[in-house]
Amino acid sequence: MFDLEAGDELDLVVETARQWAQSELVPSIRDAESARSVAKGLRETWEEVGLGTLELPPMQGGAGLGCVGRVLVNEELAAGDAGQLLALDSSAPIYSAALEIGGEEAVGELLKLTEQGRLRGILVVAEDAARCDVDESTMTLDVPWVAADAADVVAVLTSDSLLVATSGLVFDPVRGAGFRAAGGAGLRVDGAAIVSRWTNAEGAGRAKARVRLHYASVLLGILRATCEFSNAYAQEREAFGKPIGHHQALAFLITDMRMALEAARGLVHEAAWRVDAGLTCSVEAAAAWAECIEIARSIGPNGVQILGGHGFMADYPVEKHMREARALSLLCGGFDAAVEEAGRGLIESSSPLALCSEGGL
Amino acid sequence: MEFRIDDATRERIEAARELGEREFRPAGLAADRAGAPIPVGDPFFDRSIARGEGRTRWRPPGAATPKARSSSSPSVISNMLVAEELAYWDRGVINAAPGPGLPESNVVSMGTPEQKERYLGPFVDPDQPRWACFAMTEPGAGSDAAAIRTLARKDGDGWILNGAKCFIGGASRSDWILVQATLDPTKGRSAQRAFFVEQGTPGLGGFNIEKKMGLKAYESTSFTLDDVRVPAENLLGGEERYQSSAGFKTAMRTFNAGRPIIAANAVGMARAALDETIRFARERDLLGDSRVRDRIESIARKVRKARLVCLRAGWLAQLERPNIIEASMSKAMAAQIAQESTSAGLEILGADGARGDHLIEKLYRDVKAMDIVEGTGQIQRMIIARSLTGLPR
Repeated sequence: MFDLEAGDELDLVVETARQWAQSELVPSIRDAESARSVAKGLRETWEEVGLGTLELPPMQGGAGLGCVGRVLVNEELAAGDAGQLLALDSSAPIYSAALEIGGEEAVGELLKLTEQGRLRGILVVAEDAARCDVDESTMTLDVPWVAADAADVVAVLTSDSLLVATSGLVFDPVRGAGFRAAGGAGLRVDGAAIVSRWTNAEGAGRAKARVRLHYASVLLGILRATCEFSNAYAQEREAFGKPIGHHQALAFLITDMRMALEAARGLVHEAAWRVDAGLTCSVEAAAAWAECIEIARSIGPNGVQILGGHGFMADYPVEKHMREARALSLLCGGFDAAVEEAGRGLIESSSPLALCSEGGL
Repeated sequence: MEFRIDDATRERIEAARELGEREFRPAGLAADRAGAPIPVGDPFFDRSIARGEGRTRWRPPGAATPKARSSSSPSVISNMLVAEELAYWDRGVINAAPGPGLPESNVVSMGTPEQKERYLGPFVDPDQPRWACFAMTEPGAGSDAAAIRTLARKDGDGWILNGAKCFIGGASRSDWILVQATLDPTKGRSAQRAFFVEQGTPGLGGFNIEKKMGLKAYESTSFTLDDVRVPAENLLGGEERYQSSAGFKTAMRTFNAGRPIIAANAVGMARAALDETIRFARERDLLGDSRVRDRIESIARKVRKARLVCLRAGWLAQLERPNIIEASMSKAMAAQIAQESTSAGLEILGADGARGDHLIEKLYRDVKAMDIVEGTGQIQRMIIARSLTGLPR
């Protein structure tokens, strides 16, 4: 039963994502960041490759690969460039949330609102807003940062609902700590009409779990890129007569970075599997998100550290990884909210990790 | 991708849980309080034999396979989860259990038919608790197994062994000891051989059961080999095996299932500390305190991730895929997390943890060994770094 193989179909999709990210995203990392936009024509090739809706049911144009498929692909794409990924795929978390809270019907309605994904949508988790007031027909929002200069659709995930507005969206550009390829703005919404609404507390909890896993897998990709780049650098750069990676202090640091990444990946995959299996997943997803944030705090700065002064310069990607990993970690309530949610869930049981518990291990 | 476990493994875990709660936990606590291993004549071992434990998986030629063993062998994953569950109840008691123990696999895979008959035969259907053990570690050679100094010298049609071994589990109560020795200490592992030394052989002596910080249920023993003479047929695998270049390396593979099992033990101990911490915090009404909850969350998250890293290493071993990096990661990570888990538990206990009578305090002492046996955390990192960064040997 226990099997960590993704399966032939998903392996193929993941490999496609890896190759596409390396050929299409990696060469334009800095150009896209400077331009605050992806290169002309990239959006069209993104749509052709079909990675944007892969978790959606086939009836809705997706590949039906679920949350596991999403997290595996996200890691590959983000390892290429998370900034361009967020620019191309900002709507994906909305669909994931909609699936959990309103099912396929909600996804269908959202696809209409975004004109089958052609219009840009962004998801705001209510905890990330400085202000989030919702009544029966309108919403008022003040969000300090979204990774977009503009959007046509804003979906807000609260503790029990998913709400959508398409008008009255005001974007105040900000420089952004990272993900500049996707743009960056503060978002204000003042009494905008709610055009769609789904309310379902359990579904909202699962939706949040799924959104956390979405961002967690992006974080995994960024951190993997840091690990791979800094390790490769440590093989080439010499100090005191040998590659710096052959000095035990750095060798152990690189080893610990890799171990941390592998472990966090395991948590993300198990939680994603639980989502797809219909099992409880809020505690597991919150823990996976918290773990990814925790390792980002060390892997990001350590990636720069391994490169020394070079790491501090924008000539190398590790400084960008460090900034973006930190910024992304602040979403969905960040570390403290994840720990709080996971902690409260854990203590309901006297033996929360007992083997042979519900569903999985 | 599938994280469910099969029904057969589920049943094994349930059985291990029942056995652990009824037998292992009380026996481990009693040994810890007594400060001595479970005695050879303890009824605990008689019950173990009566349950059919302490037997070899080897079957004599032509012997029928016992019904209970007729189905396919449990998977590595299944064994790891059972190892986790048993260690949850008491890791020391696992090591105390009678049986052919650590050397069994070596004898099964490398032993001559006569050696299997002579040394594993008594473990086919033992009428009393029997032990055997493997002696590698020496006062001057722990993780660096290539550095052992116990010398084997050819003498006529036999061998003479001289040296000292330490931290050997169950040595004084073993029917025989598989002793690792070297023909030439300057030639590393290629010069190493393993010899069966039967209890009572002249020159085998000086047994000293060490006083330990934890894991007191089983004996860790030092002993000496002083001109111990063994016949040629006591060389594991026989002389001919070593005429080929393979030698002892035949036992080495690109995958490793031993380290993930030890790591799974550590996960079980960490989980025990977690549960005891939650129980204490609930009883003392501390769970409303976010500082306490956050610590518990942190422990649980780390234990969960260690388990998944272990299972990944075990899964690769099960498929006989290379897992050297993953096996070392599992060992390094799980042992460290288990130490952190018990330590954090003690902090939540506060001064109650300093009384010396709480299970978490015992676990804190027990678990330190997990970062030492089968290669320390530092050795594991060296193994990983050789692959990852090209760290020179």
